[in-house]
Amino acid sequence: MNYSLQFGQIAADVPYILSGAWPTLWITFVTFFVAAALGLFIAMVRLKGGPLASRLAGIWVTLTTNSPLFVVLFFLFNGLPNWGILLSPIAATLIAFIAISSGYLAEIQRGGIQSVRQAELDAAETLGMSRLQILRFVIAPHVIKTTYPALSNFFIFTMLGTSMASLVGVNELTGRAIEVSSRTFRSIEVFSLVAVTYVVLSLFASAALALVGRWLFRVKARMI
Amino acid sequence: MIDHMSALFTLGNMQFLLRGAGMTLLLTMIGCTAGLFGGFLLAYARGSKGTLTAPLRWGATAFVEIFRRIPFLVTLFLVLYTAQMIVPRAPLFWVAVVSICLLCSAYMAEIVRSGMESVPAPQIEAAEVMNFSRWRITWMIVLPQAWKVILPSAVSYMVMFVKDTALASQAGVFELMFAGKALANRGLDPFLVFATVLFAYFVISWPLARFGRWLEAQLARRTHEGDRR
Repeated sequence: MNYSLQFGQIAADVPYILSGAWPTLWITFVTFFVAAALGLFIAMVRLKGGPLASRLAGIWVTLTTNSPLFVVLFFLFNGLPNWGILLSPIAATLIAFIAISSGYLAEIQRGGIQSVRQAELDAAETLGMSRLQILRFVIAPHVIKTTYPALSNFFIFTMLGTSMASLVGVNELTGRAIEVSSRTFRSIEVFSLVAVTYVVLSLFASAALALVGRWLFRVKARMI
Repeated sequence: MIDHMSALFTLGNMQFLLRGAGMTLLLTMIGCTAGLFGGFLLAYARGSKGTLTAPLRWGATAFVEIFRRIPFLVTLFLVLYTAQMIVPRAPLFWVAVVSICLLCSAYMAEIVRSGMESVPAPQIEAAEVMNFSRWRITWMIVLPQAWKVILPSAVSYMVMFVKDTALASQAGVFELMFAGKALANRGLDPFLVFATVLFAYFVISWPLARFGRWLEAQLARRTHEGDRR
C-alpha cells in the first residue's frame, strides 16, 4: 500500500471537472422532457389508440424497458457504423437515452391516467365542462399529483444514468473524470470528487423537485 | 451479411456468450441477495429510536443517501481504484461484487423501509405496550406482513439491476456485455454482436419482469382475500 491521496495534483483540473456538470445537466433535462412528452404520447396511444396502434405502443414499452441502456448506447455508437450510419457521441447518447426513458415514462404516465376515476369524469361532464376543461381541471391535476413522485425519482435516475454517456466519449462529469484520471493517474481523488459532485447535484435536484411539487402541484414529498 | 452471421453464430461463440449470461445472472443474484440482507440491516438501523444508537442511524441514512446518489459507473471505478490501492492485482470479479453489494443494499434499504412502514402503526404501538423488544416486533409483526410489499418491489428492482450489471464490463469483469465486446474486438460485425447481446438481455429481463408483475398481482389478490375473511 504505497498510494497516498494527493488532491493537490488535480487542483488545476478541478474547475474543468466540475464544469462537466453543465453537460450532465443539459443532457438530463433534454432527455427527461423529450422522453416525458414522447412517453405521454405513447401512453395515450396505448390507452386510446386503435388495436394495432396500442399493441405497437405496448411492444415499444416492453422492448425499451427490457433493454439495458448501456448496450443500446454501444449498439448505436459501435454497431451502426458498419451499416453506414455514423452517429456522433452526443447524438447516440440522446437517441439511446430518450428511447429507453420514453418506455419507462410511458408506463408511469399510463398508471397516472388510468387512476383517474370514471365517476370524476362523469361528474365533470354533468357539470357541462368541455373536453379541454376536463383535461385541464380534472385529468391533468390528478395525473400530475399521482405521478409526480415517480417522475421526480426518474429525473434523478436519468441524471445518474447520464454518466454512461462518458463511455461513448461525451465529455460530461464522468467523461472528464476519466480523462483527467488517465492523464494524472490520480484516479481515486478524481472519482471521489466526481462522486461528491453527483451527490450534491442530485440532492439539489431532489430538493428543487420537492419544492416545485409543493408550490405548483401541492404534492407532499419528502425532501430527501 | 450472411458471412457475418455465419462467423458470429458458431457454437463456440454462443457458448462464450452463454457463459457471459451466466455471469450476469450470478452477479445479479449475489447483488440482490446481499442487497436484501444489507438493506434490511440498514432499514433496521435507520428505524432505531434512542440516543445511543443515533450514530448508527445517521450512518445508515448517510450510506443510503450517498450510494443512491452516485452513478453505478462512478461507484464501480471508485471501488476498483480503491481496491487496487489496498490489494495490488485485486480480482476484478470481487471488485464488481463489492460495488454491486454497495449499490443494491442502498436501494434495497429504501424498498425494505417502505415495506416496513406499510404495516399499520397501531399494531406496533400495541406490541410496544406489551413490552415487545424492537427486534421481536420486527421479526414477529412487521416482517410477516411487510414481505408482501417488499418482494414485488425487490423483483422489479432486480429487473432494473440486471441491466445495470452490463456496466461491470467497463471495469473488465467478464459477463454478458464483456463477452459481446470481446467478440466485437475480434473483428465480428459489431452490429450483429451487440444486437445479439441486446436480445440476450431481453430474454433474461422480460420473463423476470413478467414474473414480477404476476407475483404482485398474486400477492395483491391474496391480501384482498384476507381482508374479506
